[in-house]
Amino acid sequence: MDMFLYIDKDTFLHRLDPRTKLAVMFGSFVIALLFESLPILLALAVIILLYGHSGKVLSNLKRIRVILFMIGLMSIVIWSITRGGETKLLGPITLEGIIYGITVGIKFNVMIISGMIFLSSTTIEGISLGLVKLKVPYRGAFAFSTAIRLVPMIVATSYTITQAQRSRGLDLDSGSFIQRIKKYVPLIIPTFVSVIRSTNVFSMALESKGFGYDKERTYYMELSFRSVDYVILIITLLLILVSIYAKITFKL
Amino acid sequence: MGKAVSIENLTFRYKDQKNGNAIENINLDIDEGQFVVIMGPSGAGKSTLANCLNGLIPHFIRGEYSGQVLINGMNTKEYPVSKMAKEIGLVFQDFESQLFSTNTKLEIAFGPENFKVERAEIEKRIKEVLKTVQLEGFEDRQPPTLSGGQKQRLAIGSVLASKPKIICMDEPTTDLDPIGKMGIFTIAKELHQEGSLTLIIIEHETEEALYADRLIIMEEGHILRDGDPEEILTDVELMDRIGIMPLQIPKYFSKVSSLESHELPLTPEEGLEKFNSLKLEIDDKEYINIINEDLEREKNYGDVLIEVKGLEHTYPNGKTALKGVNLTIREGEFLAILGHNGSGKTTLVKHFNGLLLPTKGQVIVGGKDTKESSIFEIGKLVGYAFQNPDHQIFADTVYEEVAFSPKIRGYSETEIEERVREALKAVDMEGFEKEDPFSLTKGQRQRIAVASILSARPKVIILDEPTTGLDFKEQRQMMELIRQLNEKGHTIVMITHTMWVVSEYAHKVAVVNDGKVVLYGSTRDVFKKEEELLKTYLKTPHIVSFSNKLGKTLLSVDEMIRCTKGV
Repeated sequence: MDMFLYIDKDTFLHRLDPRTKLAVMFGSFVIALLFESLPILLALAVIILLYGHSGKVLSNLKRIRVILFMIGLMSIVIWSITRGGETKLLGPITLEGIIYGITVGIKFNVMIISGMIFLSSTTIEGISLGLVKLKVPYRGAFAFSTAIRLVPMIVATSYTITQAQRSRGLDLDSGSFIQRIKKYVPLIIPTFVSVIRSTNVFSMALESKGFGYDKERTYYMELSFRSVDYVILIITLLLILVSIYAKITFKL
Repeated sequence: MGKAVSIENLTFRYKDQKNGNAIENINLDIDEGQFVVIMGPSGAGKSTLANCLNGLIPHFIRGEYSGQVLINGMNTKEYPVSKMAKEIGLVFQDFESQLFSTNTKLEIAFGPENFKVERAEIEKRIKEVLKTVQLEGFEDRQPPTLSGGQKQRLAIGSVLASKPKIICMDEPTTDLDPIGKMGIFTIAKELHQEGSLTLIIIEHETEEALYADRLIIMEEGHILRDGDPEEILTDVELMDRIGIMPLQIPKYFSKVSSLESHELPLTPEEGLEKFNSLKLEIDDKEYINIINEDLEREKNYGDVLIEVKGLEHTYPNGKTALKGVNLTIREGEFLAILGHNGSGKTTLVKHFNGLLLPTKGQVIVGGKDTKESSIFEIGKLVGYAFQNPDHQIFADTVYEEVAFSPKIRGYSETEIEERVREALKAVDMEGFEKEDPFSLTKGQRQRIAVASILSARPKVIILDEPTTGLDFKEQRQMMELIRQLNEKGHTIVMITHTMWVVSEYAHKVAVVNDGKVVLYGSTRDVFKKEEELLKTYLKTPHIVSFSNKLGKTLLSVDEMIRCTKGV
């Protein structure tokens, strides 16, 4: 099991300043949240996928493909039944409902993919240093990046524990809903115990390496905001401004 | 020379500790530049002492604390841990949790960054440290992709980079293969020779403690012995009594000669010289008897239980962990699977109970292809005890924990009770039924984990590193337990790094290297090939090396004594 989401490659995307990548991510969030129009969201999805493709990090999407698929499916099922509309297809299902479901599904998936691209192409140190440069206090930035790091660690631990319990005969695939929930107890307790133990060692190791020695610290990693960063940043800002303008003027 | 560490009347008791103190009235001075090894059984207070040195106790871990610890004259009670870190670096046993950066360079830079070292200087230190811990060329590697030994060396390097005057390592070699262990000790030795660095290492491994200037033995929160390592390590009786693994060579010579303890040889080379000068001889007849006993045992094995044919396994991330493995395990065998960290041995055994399925090739368990069976089905035949007991313990009581497996298989209440009783008896934990498993010691939790596998009454028991984190006495108890299970008819497959355990208990050995089985045969035959083992980062125990030098392969001190003539 890989512990990190970060994929170590030397590409255009990896060389971008973390602040630029942060801006692109938030830009995509803003645009995705602004619109309910399928063509615009599709266009946004294409741009974001091309952006991720430039860093060769889209392979990480395989890890969350089930989540992406479920969100799309749930959204289509729920909205096609509940949205209503003119063109009735079958029972409560309408064409407008299906289209709206697809739109909402893309909206959320685009945001998740955009976040994933950011985490796959930026080192944890890069994220925290980027945040520090944006005037976030170091402790806060470090806590944020640690939280990101913790997620794959918990996943890896629970994977081992699932294997251990399945070896003892735990069968997670059968039984009623309530029975299945009960079956997760042997997984959850050891996961909690292990995570608490290792975070405890982690925090002791941090202090033992001088974390919090002084308010100030130096950084070995260097961030350089190059001209390509300015270009990307300006494009992102322009897209956001155009989107807001379009939203207000044309009520898309 | 100044004092690096000065401890006065130090007593500590953990907040939730039931009885006694973790350490009591410790008085200890360590001079600048000394290399000290601290040994002792589990629960002796070694880690507690280490955590007192940089102030984790009392700042981080709470309890009743009295006395004082001065590190380079600074009282640990008055400064936060992060300030003390500049004076003393602490390396933990659990190397997974102390590495948290994206690559090796950033991991090393983390300490100096906190101490506001200039960037150019950090750059310089990274180069130096990488050289010291022999990780040059690994600058951009992500720590999780390193092997166990490399990870621990990186953990040491990340502490070295801050240039503390004292370094304390808490059991740095526990999870490492033999060569990984040697690497750590070579580094320690070099660091020590370089200059004024004070080095304190807590260890289980007796063979490695020989390098130190000074050896401290702890027991039940007290310092029992403090002095020259050679002198203390040749005190075979003391070692045996308090449960530290005695060095095999002096132990052997103390049994076959009347040498005074200070005259006893320590290493296989010294042993060979002594053996010749004492005019001792190998008893060839007895050696043939031993070989015949091996053959007899092999004849008595039963049916084939597990058959592995041309097994290959590729993980979803594209990494090929197994590249064509063939093995046959028959009923009653005791097979040890060896290999350095990351060689593919865990991947291999996970095929034995269907946790993993072959990418190519076949695994046949009890006559059935694992591809056409389920873990649930195979689980009746093959039990698998994972390395860390805490990855499977979840119940409120020991009884519930052990009853889990039979319960899930739908046995009757009386049947379950019967099986739990039988399993707890087998691991010698009767009377603990109502205890909370989390309140037990690591050794006891390990036993409960084994019992919870036994309650399914499997024919084959797979054990992944059953002795890791246990002290010598606990390791012995665990291995005696496994031997008894084997004698009762269970087939044992065991992954381990602990070579003396393999040597004394396993019938057969399979050495895995880079996804292939490179050596496979009876323990005696495999341990004869010392050089080939070394190529796969494995090192035979002292007594085996010693007997190999004499042209025979004897696996334990007892066997060696049996084959000695001219006493």
